[in-house]
Amino acid sequence: MDGMDDLSLIRRAQAGDSTSFAELLDLYYETIHRFAWKWCGHAANADDIAQLACIKLATSLPQYRFQAAFTSWLYRLVISCAQDWQRTQVRHVHDELADTEPAPGGEAAENSIYLLQLLAQLERLGEGMKETALLVHAEGLSHAEAGVILGVSESTISWRVHTIRKHLNRQEAMAGSAS
Amino acid sequence: MNEHDIAAALKRIEAPAPGTEARRRARAAALEEFARAQAAKANTLAPAPPSSNNPLQALWRRLRPSRDNNSGSTSMNWFNNRGWLAGAASVCVLALGLTIVWPNLTRDMEDVGHERTAAAYSPPVEVDLQASQDMMPPAFEAPSIEEPMSSMAAEPVVAQEQADTGNAASTTMATPPPQAPHMPAAPPPPMPLEDGSQIIVTGGRAAMKSALEVKRSTAEASMYAQVEQLERVQRIAADSLASAPDHEKEEGRDRFEAFEINPVRRVADAPLSTFSADVDTASYSFVRSQLNFGRLPQKDAVRSEEMINYFDYAWPAARSRNAPFKPTVVVSDSPWNKGRKLVHVGIKGYELSDDAPDANLVLLLDVSGSMNEPNKLPLAVRSMEMLLDSLKPSDTVGIVVYAGAAGTVLEPTPVREKSRIVTALRTLRAGGSTAGAQGIERAYELAERHFRKGGVNRILLATDGDFNVGIDSTDELKGFIERKRGKGIYLSVLGFGQGNFRDELAQALAQNGNGVAAYIDTENEARKVLVEEASSSLFTIAKDVKFQVEFNAATVSEYRLVGYETRALRDEDFNNDAIDAGDVGAGHTVTAIYEITPAGVAGSVDEPRYERNRRSPVRDRSAENGGNEYGFVKIRYKLPDEEKSRLISEPIRVRGSDVAPAVARDVSFSTAVAGFAQLLRGGAYTGALTYDDVMNQAQAARGEDRFGYRAEFVELVRKAKTAREM
Repeated sequence: MDGMDDLSLIRRAQAGDSTSFAELLDLYYETIHRFAWKWCGHAANADDIAQLACIKLATSLPQYRFQAAFTSWLYRLVISCAQDWQRTQVRHVHDELADTEPAPGGEAAENSIYLLQLLAQLERLGEGMKETALLVHAEGLSHAEAGVILGVSESTISWRVHTIRKHLNRQEAMAGSAS
Repeated sequence: MNEHDIAAALKRIEAPAPGTEARRRARAAALEEFARAQAAKANTLAPAPPSSNNPLQALWRRLRPSRDNNSGSTSMNWFNNRGWLAGAASVCVLALGLTIVWPNLTRDMEDVGHERTAAAYSPPVEVDLQASQDMMPPAFEAPSIEEPMSSMAAEPVVAQEQADTGNAASTTMATPPPQAPHMPAAPPPPMPLEDGSQIIVTGGRAAMKSALEVKRSTAEASMYAQVEQLERVQRIAADSLASAPDHEKEEGRDRFEAFEINPVRRVADAPLSTFSADVDTASYSFVRSQLNFGRLPQKDAVRSEEMINYFDYAWPAARSRNAPFKPTVVVSDSPWNKGRKLVHVGIKGYELSDDAPDANLVLLLDVSGSMNEPNKLPLAVRSMEMLLDSLKPSDTVGIVVYAGAAGTVLEPTPVREKSRIVTALRTLRAGGSTAGAQGIERAYELAERHFRKGGVNRILLATDGDFNVGIDSTDELKGFIERKRGKGIYLSVLGFGQGNFRDELAQALAQNGNGVAAYIDTENEARKVLVEEASSSLFTIAKDVKFQVEFNAATVSEYRLVGYETRALRDEDFNNDAIDAGDVGAGHTVTAIYEITPAGVAGSVDEPRYERNRRSPVRDRSAENGGNEYGFVKIRYKLPDEEKSRLISEPIRVRGSDVAPAVARDVSFSTAVAGFAQLLRGGAYTGALTYDDVMNQAQAARGEDRFGYRAEFVELVRKAKTAREM
């Protein structure tokens, strides 16, 4: 990823070349969508978030300055869009409860259910925990990289990872003693 | 499950391949946006590259108010997070249904480390943090590390609508979304990358707008909901980007208690409807100030009953102080739903003429730095001067300030020495750091020392939302106010300014203190609250006023109460004198409006299919069964110095007697106000009602309108109409 070709593609898109921008979209749509899906655990919602992110990319791309990996920059953008999106959802959660339920049956649905559980657990740990886990655990980024993307210090990420681990361990201990 | 499992699970779970249709849509939308951005860029000069000389940076710095260290910002905002919690709850429902039991770790504080506050008190509201980051100032060359991190999220920020998005390239004040968390432990600074450049995502509003258009262009029936969603996004973006005049440079941190509007209830299921009287009008003033800025108010800011009760209606007043009001019940046709009826239940408090009791008032003024704006402390001071005009010469006024310079500014002084009071008021200056502990204690102490037996003893708290009056915990504060209420000293809260106003706390405090919470945004409003309604604001004629309506299942199938959501009481609380409720001042009117579905008319809920479900098969409409009554209104109240409640009642007659023309006109006007409030809240129950309908009805029912309040209402409806089309 982020090979020379990609970089020059980005430069051309930044310069206003729409073919390059389209190509860039084609290259990264899957990344965007995958990340959005892991963030929300629901295919149709991921579609919406990905679309918002693509639109935002169109106006924000000129601000990418090649200092961080393009994917890191992209994660940040997707997270921001996802959070915007969530704010609109929260207000109407009652109407749309049915929509957020994964379709029954199938492996994809099981995955989705499992992911939703995980995400809910992470969200309960506090703010930023879900994003931290997604970047560090799922995407395999370093604490420093995740810190840059989430706009917090590396030590904050380390602390979050530590907290996640601690609570999960305790969770495990409690589950063990209960059974 | 441990960390390793989580990592493995997050990695292992394969995201499903994106749908080709969704992909195509996203691609098309993004390309369209891209083209638009390029076109806009071609039309303008090249946008100034971000640099350390960026004038925006300087502007941004200038606009940042000096941070008030003690502005109460340590208390996390619970109320705003409710919406989020509801969302979390639904996720949890999913999770719980799948047998996972996950104790509420967010409350598990024992060993949470240095980010304890955030982790313990804040649900994951990073949403807002990140969102507000979108509106961080445009990229600076230098990393903005020098900004104290802990203050970032609590500060107003300047958003630049990108020149190349085609929008006006001017700077606008932005406010983070209303739910912006108050005290993040580590809010993200504008994201610095390795070289100090930053990721800035701007032009959100334009993007949303075009997203909306794209969505529209590909609109299919199934996408209707999404379009709506984007409109909401757009509106939020518009809200947060809307420019505000200079004195309004604030965050949109006004806090309102979230609530669900009252649903339609079947009389067979719940024949009783019980609520507390209320005379607060803060909601109306707030809505007005929002609309005057061309913004639609956030829905939770719209409390229908406060909108309705803002206006004075011609309900007949009671004649004696001992029976301080008599109910007015009027049945009319519902303009919102054919076949349904509206039931107005109104009371007007007994009017004091020349027997006003002596008053011992202590003004408790917030003089923290944030009050240093034209529509705050200066307006508060002018308001107080107006108040002096409506007091008797023998009444006394004391002044205590908190935050800034602490302490007693003026010992209680008779109003006949008005110039001394005015001089004291005019020397007040907002600013400085906070040193004003004991503010509220000192105010009560003063009031106690000058206690007027049989008179009015009241603290008037004027603030822009900083309730750091010397008692930190909200519960403790409420308890304190409640205890003092027991001693006969009441509290009213006057809210000023915007952006930081903690409405729900003002309400709670005023309710605990047997007082009103009013929101004062203009001198005109100050005049209304403190001069015209001085006697009602200051002189309580009845306390713990509760309403209970019993509907008659033989004649009414369904009912719905407009507003009073935050004032609902349990049915059994009605007769329980220990349960506190609202107070009514001299001359106050309180109005409640029910929409009812008479039996036999199609309602919102289908008739039960099964015989057993028909709990009231009564079809006997004879008079014995109350067939000539829709229901029965009961009102309980206590006289100010009594602890035992009294009861008055009035049937809701199917065929009411003729009403006076003034009453009929005011029924119509209050109906228009109720319709407006419901439209602002989304109009779920008002059928095809439009702002135009409301305008016409209100216009026709303006009546004498001596002070122009009703004309102003019509104007507001017009503004709401255009605000919506924004």
